Amino acid sequence: MDLAFTPDEQAFREEVRAWVKAHLPQQLSHKVHNALRLSRDDMQAWALILGVKGWLGYGWPKEFGGPGWNAVQKHLFEEECALAGAPRVVPFGPVMVAPVIMAFGNAEQQQRFLPGIASGKVWWSQGYSEPGSGSDLASLKTRAERVGDKFIVNGQKTWTTLGQFGEWIFCLVRTSTEGKPQTGISFLLIDMKSPGVSVRPIKLLDGECEVNEVWFDNVEVPADNLIGQENKGWDYAKYLLAHERTNIADVNRAKRELERLKRIAKTEGVFDDMRFRDEIAKLEVDIIALEMMVLRVLSAEKSGKQSLDIAGLLKIRGSEIQQRYSELMMLAAGPFSLPFIYEAMDAGWQGDHVGAAHCAPLASTYFNMRKTTIYGGSNEVQRNIVAKTVLG
Amino acid sequence: MDFDFSDEQEQLRDAVRKWVDKAYSFDERKAIVASGGFSAPVYQALAELGLTGLYVQDAYGGMDMGPVEGMVVMEELGRGMLLEPLSHAWISSAVLQGFAPEELKQAWLPRIAAGEALVVLAHQERGLRYHLENCHTTASENNGVWHVSGHKSLVAAGDHAHAFLVPAQYQGQIAMFLVARSAATDTSHSYHAQDGSRMSELLLNNAPAELLTLQGLAALQLGVDVGIAALCAESVGLMEKTLTITAEYMNTRKQFGVPIAAFQALQHRAADMKMQLELGRSMSYYATLKLNAAADERSLAMSRAKLQMGRSTRHVGQEAVQLHGGIGVTDEYIVSHCFKRLTQMEMTFGDSLHHLGLVSAQMQETAGVFA
Repeated sequence: MDLAFTPDEQAFREEVRAWVKAHLPQQLSHKVHNALRLSRDDMQAWALILGVKGWLGYGWPKEFGGPGWNAVQKHLFEEECALAGAPRVVPFGPVMVAPVIMAFGNAEQQQRFLPGIASGKVWWSQGYSEPGSGSDLASLKTRAERVGDKFIVNGQKTWTTLGQFGEWIFCLVRTSTEGKPQTGISFLLIDMKSPGVSVRPIKLLDGECEVNEVWFDNVEVPADNLIGQENKGWDYAKYLLAHERTNIADVNRAKRELERLKRIAKTEGVFDDMRFRDEIAKLEVDIIALEMMVLRVLSAEKSGKQSLDIAGLLKIRGSEIQQRYSELMMLAAGPFSLPFIYEAMDAGWQGDHVGAAHCAPLASTYFNMRKTTIYGGSNEVQRNIVAKTVLG
Repeated sequence: MDFDFSDEQEQLRDAVRKWVDKAYSFDERKAIVASGGFSAPVYQALAELGLTGLYVQDAYGGMDMGPVEGMVVMEELGRGMLLEPLSHAWISSAVLQGFAPEELKQAWLPRIAAGEALVVLAHQERGLRYHLENCHTTASENNGVWHVSGHKSLVAAGDHAHAFLVPAQYQGQIAMFLVARSAATDTSHSYHAQDGSRMSELLLNNAPAELLTLQGLAALQLGVDVGIAALCAESVGLMEKTLTITAEYMNTRKQFGVPIAAFQALQHRAADMKMQLELGRSMSYYATLKLNAAADERSLAMSRAKLQMGRSTRHVGQEAVQLHGGIGVTDEYIVSHCFKRLTQMEMTFGDSLHHLGLVSAQMQETAGVFA
């Protein structure tokens, strides 16, 4: 047992840190550090920079053009990016669909889709949830009917994150109504420029349009776009979920946001208020405990010696912590988190913020973070899963 | 960064687990509580396993092991709800090795390692709550001969101890003394603690003492930190056992025609207990792996770990009783004893509010496992 990273891992961290420092545009990190609005171009600018270096697919094995990093190296990369204030990598292409294409797609599909994902040039979206299928995802109804060498897709997806920018979407679609709901689902890649695809952004409580509804009206999809076997899509989706374990806890971002919380609390004069300060101290210990839990999972993945049943806990705890820091930041600003001036959340706005400039996005972030305990398998669903590990 | 155990550490865990299963059943423990809360034969058995000398260096006849081995041992003893204050053997050996002059080490470390001498930390006093930086007990020196006077409280198995580590005031500072049992030490007022273990009041009437170090506060802080790390590990073992007992009960107990484990309201409470156990385990690893760090870094880490441990033990203990229903509040069934032991753990070496205050006062701009 050893808490310290190895000298090789330390050297790796230094290498990543130096590279990020040299390549992350300051105007991007300024926005991230201050929770200001990121445009599509902001997000893609960083993706393209990573793509040139070969690090957008930072979890990819070498055979598919990735760096072939182990679990610890991936974590260190994520941590260095987060602490430097890099925008989060939009995960749908490089983190979510790419591993499925690698594991279950054929060679032609791999050659066709992976380069565009690796470079960051093609924007991917995820088509999972439907209006009637949230936590009970397997009940999904979007229908894909095989006609000759095509699928005809009809139905509706929703909560499609950043789908308004999407060029391709990977969808779970129903190809059979026989047997259990899980056994009639297929994994289909759909060009969003196809006739019959329409996208409507959904305005959320923070005033932003982070998610969308996506309709499919007799959309023709070449059968070549089916990943793996028909009716096996549920297995591939589960593989995808298992693939992304520690990332969802987002502990690196939590550490960065804890620093920001302290800065805001100091400026607002509540850091020396014991009642407030103790709340920050509790959050600090929560974040350290979460980080230790993440490190345990990474160590187990690296060595392969232990099997840990705590991945579900990471999602629950990580999301609770994200909500808590956003809540404390808003409370630190007190009444000056009340003004909700849309333009004030843009970098460089010259108007009157009413409170300090750092107050402008605090309520928006707090509102936005309510999603974290709902998405990715709601925390209640996660508790069902954790309870199974305890109760059998 | 590596959280795997070595083969030797797994063997040590196995040996201690076997001893607990064989020699420290719940019935055995109850009998010890009934006879006062301390068993000398049990303490001897721990010594024969080498556990009293776990931290004692080779040269003084110990096992010369490190914090990870200590953690492994304490996790297993936690499952047994050990009443005997083994951690005080670790505290006294760490303090002696860290601060004492050579002749004192030679006089006491081999006896501690062999289990011949039980040396316990006697630092608490009435009116001082969990604070370490103050005490009323005083020390005096005359021609190189030391004496201490005062009243220490809540001393673990004090009436069975052969000597005490006693912080005392000397010239405006706290110095640390080793006080051997003598006619001038009085432990006649001994009693049960919440968890059934034994505690004593220690009256020091100008008792002959040996100066361990004039850096008494640093020595005391080391001792308490060793105790916190041990306690964190012990609590992990007990929380795991408590959760296992609770899960078994939920799968057996039927109401409305089904096992109560079928109810989602209760499943989620079990999931939350698992969360607290794993947060506690994560911070127990943290405490263990920081125990050899520089003093300031070490003590802050112990406060962080103890805060998490206190929250976890309280949650797991209370929920275990609740999920058991009526049987959970009986003396006959084991879970109330788990609850009481977990409660006592939170209130030993500083409770959650105490350590929250310490963490809060020491916050820096950045924080994390490596900051």
